Amino acid sequence: MRNRRSGARMGEDGRGSGTVMSLLLVPAGLLLAAGFGVHSKTIETTGTPRITLTNLAGQVVVRGWDKPQVHVEYTVHSPRVEVDTELMPPSGAADKVRFTTHVLDPLVSASEQGADYTLDIPAGSSVEIRNPQGSVQIEKVQAYAAVESVGGRIVVNDFSGHLIARTVGGDIEILRPSGRVEAYSITGNLHFVSAATSKLRASSTSGRILYEGDFAEGGDYILSAYSGDMDIVCPRSSSFELRAKTVRGKLDNSLFLTPKRKASSPAYSGNSLLGTHNTGRASVELTSFSGTIRVRPQ
Amino acid sequence: MAEGDFRQNPGCAQFDRELMDYLEGEARPFVSTHARECAFCSVLLADLEQVRFSVRQLPLQEPSPVVWANLHARLEQEGVFRPSVRGWGWWESLRALARPAPLGALSSLALLGVMFIATPSALQLPETAASASSAPQAAVVASASFPEDRELARMTQDLEDTFRANEGLLAPDTRATYEKGLTSLDDSIRECKDSLRQKPDNTLAQDYLLTAYTRKAEILTSALEFQGR
Repeated sequence: MRNRRSGARMGEDGRGSGTVMSLLLVPAGLLLAAGFGVHSKTIETTGTPRITLTNLAGQVVVRGWDKPQVHVEYTVHSPRVEVDTELMPPSGAADKVRFTTHVLDPLVSASEQGADYTLDIPAGSSVEIRNPQGSVQIEKVQAYAAVESVGGRIVVNDFSGHLIARTVGGDIEILRPSGRVEAYSITGNLHFVSAATSKLRASSTSGRILYEGDFAEGGDYILSAYSGDMDIVCPRSSSFELRAKTVRGKLDNSLFLTPKRKASSPAYSGNSLLGTHNTGRASVELTSFSGTIRVRPQ
Repeated sequence: MAEGDFRQNPGCAQFDRELMDYLEGEARPFVSTHARECAFCSVLLADLEQVRFSVRQLPLQEPSPVVWANLHARLEQEGVFRPSVRGWGWWESLRALARPAPLGALSSLALLGVMFIATPSALQLPETAASASSAPQAAVVASASFPEDRELARMTQDLEDTFRANEGLLAPDTRATYEKGLTSLDDSIRECKDSLRQKPDNTLAQDYLLTAYTRKAEILTSALEFQGR
């Protein structure tokens, strides 16, 4: 690990002279079996640091905890890959921490271009993660998280604050979030469970969208699919105002709705459904171009 | 270092030249190296990164209902705005502008998007290649080619051309993921256009078409950033 605070390579990174000797002496098979070793480091931070992680492939797991520290463990996929750490300010509790995976040899194969990370971070951290061909899992972070992947899966559990998750082809799964959530994918599936969010924005072009659970009082939910199906599975006791529209798809509702107006609006040429379930405490807007929208009880 | 010395120090000058590229995500190791050695540049870099980070965290504010109402009324008054307009997908996609990206292309898409939303009547402009139809009006509607559409298509095509010229730089898995996404978006663009040829006033199809173009520009931009690393 190259530490930007000191400008010196850290001893625990496995890239010092001891590691060079090990590379020379330890049989390659044994080294590969050990995954080039797990490297770890604990960094003193403020209670609300900004943490950025840029990886290429591999697994990234981020967990919130109640200590003003960042503890990182990582394993590089190849000796021709290294991890840099930058800290700001240069001394004292860091307010900004950046981890970057670098490929030292451009000829390294795609499967070797990444690292697996596990981070424990202050729950109040703001986090930005880019892991194009790897998965990202976030648990119990309470402030802000922006996560991007190309083909990797994103899983977020028990998040509160403002979450933005984007993929091109990876699935996104968000369980028990609160606050504001945005999730976008092109071909990936989106799955939400018990989203007690003030705002939820979600769209997938050809992936499926599955929402399971109740809606928060006053919550504003907008979900959009293009060709993929959308399933809303909620308790009969849930309370929301529903606006569902599709251009060429189908609407399939199994919940009792008090109609707000006639089903087909003059301003809209597809199928639409507008009504209130129970007292309409949340706002739910569902749109699809050619997929099927299903609303049914749990 | 005194501020007056900043431009005269070769290291600071190089730092200055590379700073913007560094902030846009390019690999510029000199910038961070120099910042560790130069107190002035270190403070400058820290401030700029703080600003950039703060900007990214700003909540996406939609214009107030009053602004929308006034705009709506004005457009209706001028006869260029017929159906109700819903722009949620568009506003969401503007968040992409907070990322380092070919902002010019995306900004132009944004402008064209506004034009597209605000001028659905343009959908009814005739096209020279209109298919023959027994009903002249139907032929006009069916053509459904309009300046904004062509401009949107041209801009995303420019991005795609650049992507195609460099796609060999991507790992096979990554390239396959982008290809699948682009195919999905191209399908949706084609279907939305077909739908709008039949029903030009379908605002939901208009939204989907615009969103598909925007998403396509976003993932091409993302791919180009990735290729540049």
